[in-house]
Amino acid sequence: MLFNIYIKELIDSLRDKRTLLLTVFLPILMMTALTFFYENMISGDEGETYTLAVESGLSSEQEMVLNNIENVELVTVEDLQETLLNGDAQAAIVFEAEFDEKVQAGEVGNIEIIGDTFSQNTSNLIYLVTSQLAEYERILVTERLINADVDPGITQAVAIEQTELSTEDSNIMLLALLIPMILAIAISVGSSPAAADLFAGEKERKTMEALLMTPVNRSTLLLAKFLTISSVGTIIGLLTLTVVIIEIAFFTEHLKAAVNLGDQMILIFAVGIIIIILYSSLMGAVLMITSIIGKTVKEAQSYASPILMLAVVPLIFITGLSVNEFTLNHFILPFVNIFAIITELIFGIVNWQHILIVIGSNLAVIVIIFIISRILFSKDKWVID
Amino acid sequence: MIEIKNVTKRFQDKKVSVTALNHVSFKVGEGEVVGLLGENGAGKTTLLRSIATLHTPTEGEINVGGYDTVKQSEKIKRRIGVLFGGETGLYNRLTTRENLEYFASLYHLSKHETKVRIDELTKMFGMRDFLDRKVDGFSKGMRQKVAIARTIIHDPDIILFDEPTTGLDITASNVFRQLVQELKQEGKTIIFSSHIMEEVDLLCDHVAMIHKGELVYHGEKEALYREENSRDLNYIFMSKLVRGTEGYAI
Ligand SMILES: Nc1ncnc2c1ncn2[C@@H]1O[C@H](COP(=O)(O)OP(=O)(O)OP(=O)(O)O)[C@@H](O)[C@H]1O
Ligand SMILES: [Mg+2]
Repeated sequence: MLFNIYIKELIDSLRDKRTLLLTVFLPILMMTALTFFYENMISGDEGETYTLAVESGLSSEQEMVLNNIENVELVTVEDLQETLLNGDAQAAIVFEAEFDEKVQAGEVGNIEIIGDTFSQNTSNLIYLVTSQLAEYERILVTERLINADVDPGITQAVAIEQTELSTEDSNIMLLALLIPMILAIAISVGSSPAAADLFAGEKERKTMEALLMTPVNRSTLLLAKFLTISSVGTIIGLLTLTVVIIEIAFFTEHLKAAVNLGDQMILIFAVGIIIIILYSSLMGAVLMITSIIGKTVKEAQSYASPILMLAVVPLIFITGLSVNEFTLNHFILPFVNIFAIITELIFGIVNWQHILIVIGSNLAVIVIIFIISRILFSKDKWVID
Repeated sequence: MIEIKNVTKRFQDKKVSVTALNHVSFKVGEGEVVGLLGENGAGKTTLLRSIATLHTPTEGEINVGGYDTVKQSEKIKRRIGVLFGGETGLYNRLTTRENLEYFASLYHLSKHETKVRIDELTKMFGMRDFLDRKVDGFSKGMRQKVAIARTIIHDPDIILFDEPTTGLDITASNVFRQLVQELKQEGKTIIFSSHIMEEVDLLCDHVAMIHKGELVYHGEKEALYREENSRDLNYIFMSKLVRGTEGYAI
């Protein structure tokens, strides 16, 4: 009986064009865009190249200094202001008339940099140019000191060395947040039409009364419907995950190297699948309540929209933390813990204590929500209008 | 046999208590076709739902075939078919056959029984042409046929219809009327609510009238006509309501 209802509900849900669109195409599209965006970002190293405008008549010395800057391209133009205003260059540089002579003579050579630092690109470019010029200045100063018979070492008062603790690319950290976020959004948005249809829809269509008139007991009915909603979510989650794996494995180079899970790969995917099933069930249970309470599909959906925020809000708790900063709370709190555990998995960490806490906490919440649903579902008020 | 014994149903809506049925009692014998008349909000739907075990009476009790609607609802459900609202109550994304098969399975019919029953109903309703088409896009008449077929898929002895022809055109309404006559031939007990007097006059042998939750008349249709010395059900209904309200001094 349970199986009969489940199969019928699943067929009915999957025949819904809207569900199908949200189920199949949207998450795949989002994931594909994300994957290739990151592949590009990682492979482009620093990425962007910038354009620096200069006036004609640069000396070979000046040109050499500027040509040495990575990712910066020089253009020689008539009117600097106009070029900048047109956006053909992000900044301009002007050497004063007797710059080379002054520098040779041991005087101060003036350089003017023009740009609107309100723009991020301009700021980046100006930073690159000033760093290069600072380096150039250091060489000049060193030369002058040697000429004056002074040890150039005395100009250095501080030496800074920065060591990156995490061996992982910071891009992967971002990806580790975005993959669970897209999974969470895909699962919750994708299963919401089915959820709304399965209770509120039945009330609206008056099939609910017909259903309750059959000798099937309400718990069976509720369980079958809950399983249907969770299955739709699970299908979406697995599909999305599969697409990411295939895309990363076959269509990317740098990303593939970055997310190297090593020999734990199969274990990590197995845990990933369990997490997806759990999360779909949790979301399914919460969405089911909104549908039981709603009298019409519209009403159910308006109750569901704040719930859908639960898919994204947990990001607030996780963003900015590195994997080793997660506390036990991050793994206990439902909706937050899916982010924490998937982030760990993406970093190749398989911590059984964390995994069991996540499973246990989700199961407990699902059971509680199911019991509440069962109580609501026995009240006429919620079942027939 | 349906026995409604002194049934009162009150709804608690926020702080206000609405009395939808007020000490209603009457009996419906086997094979009777009863027309349930009443204005909007009179309590027709509430009465039909109570008989169908979907509501628990606040006071009194209802027996269907000797079973209590509250304590033995499972037993009653197998013997009763209910259609609320004319052509609604179908799954649009499923075909006619899938709709029927689904409900057959909910009534625990075997695969073979289901097939035989669907064949039977297909012939009876002339549904061959759209048996394997998705219900979405069907005309109201076609939907009406499928909805009624679904209601009687388990071959119940008692059938309840709540405003079965509201919103339907003549053709679709006629489908219903013909069908009720066929079911009457088969000896089924039928109660249906309606606002259409001609329909009640045509199909029923008994009439029940409720007004503001109270039963103002129940009896044989012909007896009523003789008593009132008229065959104009509309007129009789209106005059009963006036007398009913006066009688209860509301
Ligand atoms: N679930 C409910 N909760 C609260 N009040 C209800 C409920 N169901 C019915 N009522 C109230 O009970 C009264 C009778 O309603 P009912 O639906 O039985 O009337 P009806 O005769 O079927 O009317 P209509 O012809 O409009 O269908 C109305 O005042 C209605 O507002
Ligand atoms: Mg009604």
